[in-house]
Amino acid sequence: MKGSYLGELEELTLLTVGILYPEAYGVGVMDEIEKQAGRSLNISAVHSVLTRLEEKGFLTSKMSDPTEERGGRRKRIFLLTAAGKRVLEEAHQMRTQMYNRIPKMALQFQWT
Amino acid sequence: MDMKQQPPRWADRFLMWYCNPRLLEEIQGDAYELFYRSAKENKYKADFYFIWNVLRFFRWKNIRRSKQKNTHSLLSTAMLKNFYIVTLRNFKRQPVHSALNLFGLSIGFLCAFLILLWVSHEFSFDRFHKESDSIYKVLAHAKVEGVYETYNVASASLDVSSIPEIESKVMVIEGERWPNELCFRKDGNNNECVFLKGIYAGESFFSLFTFPILEGDNDPLKAPNHIAISENMAEQLFGFEDAVGKIIKIDGRIEVTVASVYANPPGNTTLQFDFVMPFAIIKNLWGISDGQFDTYAFSTYIKTHSASSPELLTKKLNDPLVLSEEFRKQNIHYEAYPLTAWRLQDKFENGKVAGGRIEYIYIFIAIGSMVLLMAVINFINMSTARATSRAKEIGIRKATGAFRSSIITQFLSESFIIVFAAFIIALLLTQLSLPYFNLLLTEPISRQWYEGEIVFYIIAGLIMVALAAGLYPAFVMSSFQPVKILKNQMNAQGTGSERLRKSLLVVQLSISIAIIIFTGVMYQQMSYITHKDMGFERSNTLRIEPTFQLLKKFDAFKNELQKNASIIGAAAANDNPLDGQPNINVSWPGKAENTRIAFQAIGCSYEFASTIGLRFKEGRDFLPKAQDTLYNEAIISEDAIKTMGLKQALGEHIEVNGYDCVIIGVVQNFHTSSLQKARLPVVLYREKYTQCSALYVRYQPGTTQQSLTAINDAYKKLEPSYTMKYWFQDDSFNELYRTEITASRLILLFTIISVIIAIIGVVGLSTFNVMRKTKEMSIRRVFGASMVQVLTLLSNEFSGVMLIAMGLAFPAAWYVADQWLSKFMYHTDLPWWIFIASLGGMAMITLLIILTQGVKTLSANPTKVLRND
Repeated sequence: MKGSYLGELEELTLLTVGILYPEAYGVGVMDEIEKQAGRSLNISAVHSVLTRLEEKGFLTSKMSDPTEERGGRRKRIFLLTAAGKRVLEEAHQMRTQMYNRIPKMALQFQWT
Repeated sequence: MDMKQQPPRWADRFLMWYCNPRLLEEIQGDAYELFYRSAKENKYKADFYFIWNVLRFFRWKNIRRSKQKNTHSLLSTAMLKNFYIVTLRNFKRQPVHSALNLFGLSIGFLCAFLILLWVSHEFSFDRFHKESDSIYKVLAHAKVEGVYETYNVASASLDVSSIPEIESKVMVIEGERWPNELCFRKDGNNNECVFLKGIYAGESFFSLFTFPILEGDNDPLKAPNHIAISENMAEQLFGFEDAVGKIIKIDGRIEVTVASVYANPPGNTTLQFDFVMPFAIIKNLWGISDGQFDTYAFSTYIKTHSASSPELLTKKLNDPLVLSEEFRKQNIHYEAYPLTAWRLQDKFENGKVAGGRIEYIYIFIAIGSMVLLMAVINFINMSTARATSRAKEIGIRKATGAFRSSIITQFLSESFIIVFAAFIIALLLTQLSLPYFNLLLTEPISRQWYEGEIVFYIIAGLIMVALAAGLYPAFVMSSFQPVKILKNQMNAQGTGSERLRKSLLVVQLSISIAIIIFTGVMYQQMSYITHKDMGFERSNTLRIEPTFQLLKKFDAFKNELQKNASIIGAAAANDNPLDGQPNINVSWPGKAENTRIAFQAIGCSYEFASTIGLRFKEGRDFLPKAQDTLYNEAIISEDAIKTMGLKQALGEHIEVNGYDCVIIGVVQNFHTSSLQKARLPVVLYREKYTQCSALYVRYQPGTTQQSLTAINDAYKKLEPSYTMKYWFQDDSFNELYRTEITASRLILLFTIISVIIAIIGVVGLSTFNVMRKTKEMSIRRVFGASMVQVLTLLSNEFSGVMLIAMGLAFPAAWYVADQWLSKFMYHTDLPWWIFIASLGGMAMITLLIILTQGVKTLSANPTKVLRND
């Protein structure tokens, strides 16, 4: 299914939203990605990934209470949906499965 | 936090401007948060960072305004489909009503389309010429007795070569009869004529006008013995053979060669002709020299290099270099008149344009818009009246979360669907009825609805009507409060404004009453014209175009005719008593020097007065003596006595065309032209047969067929190689009023349509009125009101409407009708009974409809109605 395909950045963002629960919002996600993965993104890119994920149904959002640091503006708080969790699990599972199928030799060879 | 540190204002504003308001808060919030964070370190870097972010947020997704995030847009296909289904269901629920509504709108559209086609046909006249805007017709205004008379000809000697703006000039000799209408013969058939009408024109005719040449010489009028013929003429004379190069004999003596064949002139040209010949031929036919030719005046057209103002051209035409002293002395001046305006505005009064067909165009545009307006009003009235039955639907829609805007969209799209359906039906009807409409017009419309700017008008009309018809109901119905509707607290009257509905009905009724009155007046005048005593007999009279031979043998022709009992008399004359040309060459003792007084001077044979049935007041008719009384006796009309101011007419000597004549008789006045023009004083004098232009034969009423055969036989006996060309005087009479007759036919058609629409409107409204009042009526009945009392109550409402409609319609109709009648010198008085009759008729129909509906409701048992609640 087309909708269930997750891009790399999408997966990263989805994971971050999970990590930041229940306080994931634009700038927070951006900072966390930079911290965890060392990738510096522009805030607008983060926004577009978040809204795309929301359109795909992996995230929902609600507005938070107003905060002072934003000049009294509210944040949009993102939360994982059931579909979002499932797609993360599937991606993780697929990776582990695939990882496990790599012949030991190959790994050893690389690690030496 | 230091609130002084603010991001650059312009960037912030830019963000607020482009950003979708729904997304603004979070985006702006993120941007601010990042700004404040980095502003702690470096203000400039923070500014730059903010600007950069704002620019990066500038993407379509953030700009796009979606009204409701995460829901479908207002006009999703599913919703439209639902609207469509609901429209259809509503249509089916009340099929008669909806069909009436649709039908009313369709014929309203039909009426508007037909008028649009006709009007654009009229406006398209002469516009097909290349650079039609720079072609002008030269008109001559001549001052006579202090008043300008306008002629659509200019002197043949007019030389415009000194005017630099003028590119070319062409003279055209137009006319209805010989030598414009000629007898042509098909190859090998020497006894039958094919009568075709054409023109004589100067060399540049085909370059000035756009009449495309299909075959042959592109410049056919250079050689003196050439003829250019139309496709139609080529086909009639030569069938499928190649016409170019063929020899045609004109008048049986002049041989001309077909130089080219041109495409048939389109329907929307004021110049209609089947052949064009150079001037050399007409000079030969007339037997005149170049010098004589130059003293004549013909239709003259000029074309300028680029669009020039007519005022400037007129000024240059009247420059002493162009307009010679001879004309200035006679108080003649020229005017350059745009060719494209000639068709619609060709009437002049005292040298100024005074309308023409354009008056009818305006009348019909007004009628078309009014009929369409009536149809739209019907639609509005019916939709709002039906709102009561739709209230529940609206309530439920609103209760389940519909916005007002979506209800408005629903009703707008509903009206669009119906209007569009009506529009398609009307287009089909237009296409189907066009041939019959053309018959009514007596000439085919040259335009199609899908041509050029007409499509634009039609589409614009569609949208306007759909909006006009849909907006009001949509806003009214969407304003209902769901709580009230669903709790059944809404009283039926609250749906839409009752007053508005009534005023719309007033507009409708007044329009139809006004149109009916105007039509009535028009028909009254037409019947006045047909029944008016012209002062002579025009029925049962044939006018025959004579050949020269026939004129010479007129006596023999007459003797041949008189063998038949059905023939009353035959005479020759040089002017048609129906439509004569004014003549100023009449003088009498005591006539002031240098005055130009127009007479109708008819030169005729001695039988003329008795043949056309002139009535003698005094004196006697011409005697059947032969040539010795020629040019020395005259018969005059009573008007002529008045004009000449004679005390004793008989025995007085007057001069006619230079001959001294003694007055031997006085006849009752008779009309010598259309009743639009004032009667001219008449002088009859005897003329040689060979100088006459037409023969008149009157026969016993009811013997048309046998008389025609007898006349034709006599003609063939004397002119075996010609076909008789003839007209019934009655037809020529109708021809005088062609525009009026066409207009009255059209207006009758549109009146019928407007009345149908009005009736539909009344039916629709009264049905709902009665439905709304069913309960009230039943209660009144239960409490003992009689049927008549209740019905009176119902009809009272409409009588007020009727009175106001009358108050509006009468003055308007009176004004327009009076204007129209004043165009006729002789007309009926405004017939008051038509006002009364139209009002009475409308009132009767309205009452009848209301009462039948009322009786239908009342005849049901009132308790049953009441128990339902």
